[in-house]
Amino acid sequence: MNSIVYLLIQLLVILLVAPFVNGLIKKVKALSQKRKGASVLQMYFDLYKLVKKKPVVSNISSWIFHVTPYIVFATALAAALLVPVSTKILPPQIPGDFIMVVSILALGRFFLMIAALDTASTFGGMGSSREAMISALIEPSILISMFTVALISRSTSLPQIMETVQKVGLPLAHPVYIMVGLALLIIILAETCRIPVDDPATHLELTMVHEAMILEYSGRHLALLEYGAAVKQLVFMTLFVNILIPQDQMIGFMGLGALILSLLIYLLKVILLALAMGIIEVNTVKLKLFSIPNLAALSFILAFLGVLQFLILGGKHV
Amino acid sequence: MSNLAVNSNLLETLSVLILLSSFVLMANKRINSYIKTFRIQSFLIALAAGIMGLRSLMSEGRWDFLVVCLLIMILKVLYIPNMLNKTYKNVSYKVEKDFILNIPILVLLCCGLVVFSYFTLSGVDGISQDVLNMQLVNSVSVIWIGLLFMISRKKAIGQIIGFLVIENGLYITAMYSTQGMPFIVDLGIFIDLLTFVLIMGVMTFRINEKFDSIDTDQLNNLKG
Repeated sequence: MNSIVYLLIQLLVILLVAPFVNGLIKKVKALSQKRKGASVLQMYFDLYKLVKKKPVVSNISSWIFHVTPYIVFATALAAALLVPVSTKILPPQIPGDFIMVVSILALGRFFLMIAALDTASTFGGMGSSREAMISALIEPSILISMFTVALISRSTSLPQIMETVQKVGLPLAHPVYIMVGLALLIIILAETCRIPVDDPATHLELTMVHEAMILEYSGRHLALLEYGAAVKQLVFMTLFVNILIPQDQMIGFMGLGALILSLLIYLLKVILLALAMGIIEVNTVKLKLFSIPNLAALSFILAFLGVLQFLILGGKHV
Repeated sequence: MSNLAVNSNLLETLSVLILLSSFVLMANKRINSYIKTFRIQSFLIALAAGIMGLRSLMSEGRWDFLVVCLLIMILKVLYIPNMLNKTYKNVSYKVEKDFILNIPILVLLCCGLVVFSYFTLSGVDGISQDVLNMQLVNSVSVIWIGLLFMISRKKAIGQIIGFLVIENGLYITAMYSTQGMPFIVDLGIFIDLLTFVLIMGVMTFRINEKFDSIDTDQLNNLKG
């Protein structure tokens, strides 16, 4: 019973909030350019419009091209189910941990890359080779930063980690967590195709990475891919806010009221993070492709320093 | 008690951030961003000194550490970076590649230096395990990273910044391990530093006048 409620809440929250976050980031960008910009709800309308349309598929493409949107969306959802939005409602056992989250997302990315190669368009190949490079550079720092947190809580399961973080007090002023947090911030920007790494708003052939891969898709396939990307972005943001700004210890009571309150606080945190990401995106320039290893090295170092601080402290008072 | 714990936690966090700022310095490519990062690092040090100063004011009634904090603010956050900026403007030359190895390798080397300083410090006899905390390891790592920065940059301003980072590292090592040096020692260090920067600023200007570049590799041309 408990796990069914958990699944429902998890799905509802992630699916409903994901397009809104995208709209919010776009709104911040528009306002910074003195435009009025599209409504924050624009992505819902876009998805609705795309779902109604028939996909156009090139007749030289194989089955991989057809299944990829479904696989990408399904993997994003599966990853979303493993990252709890609130610790107030947890089933006794969630199978899978953060290593599983990373590998599930890698599966989706793998299919996206070979689907981009499938239609043999020049942009597809370019996009997927770039995506392969970026993901190979970023994945070690995701794993190391999460391993740091896992070492502290002595468990790789995300609900367990989030329970432990509640006891830290203020993780943002903690020497280990702040390193992990900064590493995760760079990871979020790279994984969700944000500006220092990739520009989500451009179709200029020299710069696009994610857009180049989904260029051949249309109709409901495109809707699934874009929705999947938004869900993946929200999964990483949930990971960030729930580890760095835990809130549930402030709510002293249990039950339905506590759940609703903690979901509201979660929503507030996600909105704040989205605004921050929008501001970062406005204030940075896109790196050239060969400078991305520098950024990845920095995020790796941040994660590594986190582990090191933990080891020097000897696991005391963390 | 809990107030004290939060306080020392803050100091630890600041020491990690100071270490991080020296990593960022290593990853920088342009001379004006070196100066900006140095300014941020000095600001963090001033903040740490301020927290220590407040604590010693509360417990022992000593106010000299707050004066040190103010001096760091004036000297390292405002005066020296401004002067370096002025020197940089005077010696206008084309921005070109300034470092000898590429940045990811340099940053990974820094990482190795942190591990190295951890193991060397745990081997020293005089330090008991209680004192060997991460503040000490972090501050000693800043010294090593400053050294590496100095030898990895070719231009004179980069090398000056490297020296200043070594000095910052020494200063926070002393500060974190003694929890407040005698005031006269602090003053001596600052006056030394000021003289160094003044002399190096003039030197850089002269090198540029003579050789039309502050690339120190070209000093080899002086050999017969």
